[in-house]
Amino acid sequence: MLPLLLSLALTGCKNRVADPADLVDAECAADGYPEARLRLLTRAEYDRTVADLFPALSGGACSDDLDCDVLTQSCVAGSCSNDPCELVTFHLDAPDGPYGSVHVAGTFNGWAPTVADGGWAMEWVAEQSRYVAKRAVPDGNHEYKFVIDEWDWRNDPANPDTAADGYGGWNSLLAQDCEGATGVAEAITEWSAGFPVESRPEHYPFDNSADSGLVTTVHVEQYLAAAEAIAEQALTRPDTLYTCSPGADGCARELVTDLGRRAFRRPLTAEEADRYEGLVEAQADWDTGVAVAVRVMLSSPYFLYRFEVGQIDAAGQRTLTDFEIASALSYLVWGTMPDEALLDAAASGTLSDPAELETQARRLLADPRAREIVGRFGLQWLGVEGVTTLDKVDPAATDTLRNQALAETAALMERAVFESDYRTLYTGKTAAIGDELAALYGVEAGADVALPTGRAGILGQASVAMATSHSDQTSPIRRGLFVRERLLCQDLGTPPANAGGVPEVDPDATTRERFAQHTDDPACASCHQYIDGLGFGFENLDPVGRWRETDAGVPVDASGELLGLEQPGGTDLHTFVGVVELGRILADSDSARHCFTTQWHRYATGRLETDADACTIAVVDDVFAQSDGSVEELLVALVTAPRFVRRTP
Amino acid sequence: MNRRRLLQGLGAAALAPFANLLPAAPAYAGDGVAERVIFFYFPDGVVGPSANGEPSKWHCTGSEFSFSLSEQLQGLAAFQSDCVFLNGLSMGGTDSGSHPGGAKKLLTAVDHGNGESIDQYLSRTVGSGMPWRHLYLGAQATANGASGDKHISYYAPGQSIAPQDDPRVAFDLLFGAGGGTGGGSATVDPVQASVIDGVLADMNALRAKLGSVEKTKLDLHLDALFEVEQRIKGLGQAEPVVSCESPAIDTSQIGDLNAPESFPAILEAQLDLMVLAMACGLTRVGTVQASTHTSELIMSRFPGTAMYDPGFDMRSHQASHYGPAHDPNHREYADYLMQRQWWVEQFAGLLQRLADIPEGDGTMLDHSLVVLCTEVCDGNTHLHDDMPFVLAGRAGGALSTGRLVDVGYRRHGDLWVSVANAMGDGLSQFGDASGGAIPGLLS
Repeated sequence: MLPLLLSLALTGCKNRVADPADLVDAECAADGYPEARLRLLTRAEYDRTVADLFPALSGGACSDDLDCDVLTQSCVAGSCSNDPCELVTFHLDAPDGPYGSVHVAGTFNGWAPTVADGGWAMEWVAEQSRYVAKRAVPDGNHEYKFVIDEWDWRNDPANPDTAADGYGGWNSLLAQDCEGATGVAEAITEWSAGFPVESRPEHYPFDNSADSGLVTTVHVEQYLAAAEAIAEQALTRPDTLYTCSPGADGCARELVTDLGRRAFRRPLTAEEADRYEGLVEAQADWDTGVAVAVRVMLSSPYFLYRFEVGQIDAAGQRTLTDFEIASALSYLVWGTMPDEALLDAAASGTLSDPAELETQARRLLADPRAREIVGRFGLQWLGVEGVTTLDKVDPAATDTLRNQALAETAALMERAVFESDYRTLYTGKTAAIGDELAALYGVEAGADVALPTGRAGILGQASVAMATSHSDQTSPIRRGLFVRERLLCQDLGTPPANAGGVPEVDPDATTRERFAQHTDDPACASCHQYIDGLGFGFENLDPVGRWRETDAGVPVDASGELLGLEQPGGTDLHTFVGVVELGRILADSDSARHCFTTQWHRYATGRLETDADACTIAVVDDVFAQSDGSVEELLVALVTAPRFVRRTP
Repeated sequence: MNRRRLLQGLGAAALAPFANLLPAAPAYAGDGVAERVIFFYFPDGVVGPSANGEPSKWHCTGSEFSFSLSEQLQGLAAFQSDCVFLNGLSMGGTDSGSHPGGAKKLLTAVDHGNGESIDQYLSRTVGSGMPWRHLYLGAQATANGASGDKHISYYAPGQSIAPQDDPRVAFDLLFGAGGGTGGGSATVDPVQASVIDGVLADMNALRAKLGSVEKTKLDLHLDALFEVEQRIKGLGQAEPVVSCESPAIDTSQIGDLNAPESFPAILEAQLDLMVLAMACGLTRVGTVQASTHTSELIMSRFPGTAMYDPGFDMRSHQASHYGPAHDPNHREYADYLMQRQWWVEQFAGLLQRLADIPEGDGTMLDHSLVVLCTEVCDGNTHLHDDMPFVLAGRAGGALSTGRLVDVGYRRHGDLWVSVANAMGDGLSQFGDASGGAIPGLLS
């Protein structure tokens, strides 16, 4: 370990002696602290925050369950609400239905052979050609089957998990685990659908750029319209807003104080509480007054920005307040507002203590909400979100396939973070694969499928293959740049004037042959020696990620070379054949790991790193390396670093 | 601002095609100020001078009043007397050879996009007081997650913003169908007014508290709030050119917003909407961004066009790399030429929409200034000199048209100075190395 630490200390923290103990204690203050910032909520953050503010309104207006887009929602008091964790939705698509009857039989009801014996009857939903039943199921493992007409026993086709039945067959398996679950919103209403898309600066892969989060007129219009719609829905469930008697003394105060604390992620000041109370009372009737207060709150800069401004103390140092720290942590790990426990911790003034901050960080990371954010991070880091709309000539690229490809990537990301380690991203040999993706890969669908030879980790995934190809051909250039920029954080600059374009698809030439000019022409080769050789290693994967043995009738040559792995422009040469070998090289690379740390630093800070961040990144990366690639340790190190809470005065 | 001479008796169907009422005489006596400006952007340059040194197939040749249109500009033949064709404008040497470098400089005239763009500048000056200071519409300009340097409108130095790509959403926003404040109304909704007042109270308290922290960000936010407040409270209502009691655009042909086949219909709808919004007096400053630089738009899938070839995907950027020579036998070159001609035809379509609507003593086109632009000159060499700019419309008499103007060598920030002057803004310099308005361009 020591040589690695030495080199990091020397390159990352040039002003420090290379003592590992010193690294751990490093304040990384030599180059000053970051600027105080207001960070505009992204569309995704906005929607999640609203869902958490008004948990009962997570769906749209409805008159019955059928109006809700998502099976695991029910129509409650006029709006679609996510079902509580205990409530399990069973469904059976029956295009040739209806049948006489369908029921659920399993360990939870004594394998009831008929409905009369206690079987859970499923309801026929003609509009969807589907049988549905919702039942509360206790924690634990349960086996079950669907029973058609009380004699035809079938496994649940929508559930890939099975358990041996002891007779050589299989039952569907339901592992129910609601203890500790905090009502994860499975369906989030997209209130932000009409908001402008976030702008991402060059080389910044995420949607949460602090600099680019600017409010235009269109934003204001859309914020006001969304707030009006949300307030209208909230008023259909007044119990979500207040429990006091409408119009009673102090009721308006209670409402604005409670909602304000959560909407602004801090207590209202007395002046603010007065003003909001006045808003309620100035209107002709109670409901209008409540609606105005809610609409103002949701359109207020205090709601729309995450504050990373801090306060200047007696010593002249600027540090985030406890409530700002709570938001910085929850938006990083959950992509949404702090929960009650975190707000309470902030109120008690303990979050400025790194030990308490670490405790809270670990608590948030253990919550299912963290999984979703980690998946989102992965899709943005790898730049694959766009595969849902990319043009592809291949008819296999259906919407389902694209979504399953994204789900595979998100699932691998979650696995690497929560169940395994960082190297899994490059070397993982099993994956969660939906049916169309399974057909593309030539394997069975399932939650934990062994990948075929030639695929491992993200490099062999269809999402990456699609995102780095054109509509009708692969792009060794894009694939090489993908590795350089996203996985190694190396920037090769813009191509020169007179750069050639994409060679035509030529049925008689392989991709490798068509791009040969890049390496034959010395002017091109000066840059492309770092790009194409890498990209050629992906040639077994076609523009949608299907395995191919031939290209233009010639066997694919997937030999690749990676020149300059540990630093841009380096002369170290690593040769490989195919993405599995490339994955192994990257999994063991300090520079790829350092880049992964850097990408999390970008995501957390909402900006590209500067020289002043190099020290913190090196310290965090060192913790990450020593933990054998535990992303939880990386994130804990990141949020407990002094620069997470300190700002320049 | 009561310059408009409203044509009486226009019905709700005023946007139906009108006979072109353009007077034949090139001299046009307006009040000397353009009512509106529209920037029309298309991606990936034109067929300019080739790498082998063949002359440009875009730039016109001849004298100021006697010149012939180039092959790519034939689509503007009907509007030759309404246009000024510009030769010699340069965006400077920084990043020359690069699409993103050019896109950053295009409307900012500042290297690396480190300045406000001219459309945003004008929105703050001559555009303020209108219900909408600025309207930024796109056609697949946010496709595939495009952002940052892909977008040409810079709200603040270094910070571009994203256009609205869905004409239906934009329509609802402008005309209030989606719960937005729309184009302002005579009757003020007291609840909406209370809401915006409450938000402004929070904003003012926050600004007072933060002082210099994030001041630019909050200033922009506050300006946006003021603009919406004005709409909500029915201030600054402009007189419409046409009756806008039941505005509508045709979006029935759009289909999948992301499909290349839909692109022409999306662009048509956005151009309809831009002209409608301006005819209804909602805004004076508009930007239409068709796709983005290094465009992956598969133009060979545009139905019913000369480029159409369902068996072969030819993207805009791919075609722009047509090789070192103007070789008609080369597939990329042939397609690139057709693509550029198609963009010019869409620009002509925008001019036609404006020419179809009478305004005052002429048409909307006579009172407008319309700018055609792209981020590089030749798509293969990517150079930033002799940029292919075209101005159209008589700008209320500010611009005498039907000319070929060769500026020799001038930085294109000077063009934006002239555009601002035509809009009645007294701007004297804009961007890097600006030498002031282009002499002799405006009347």
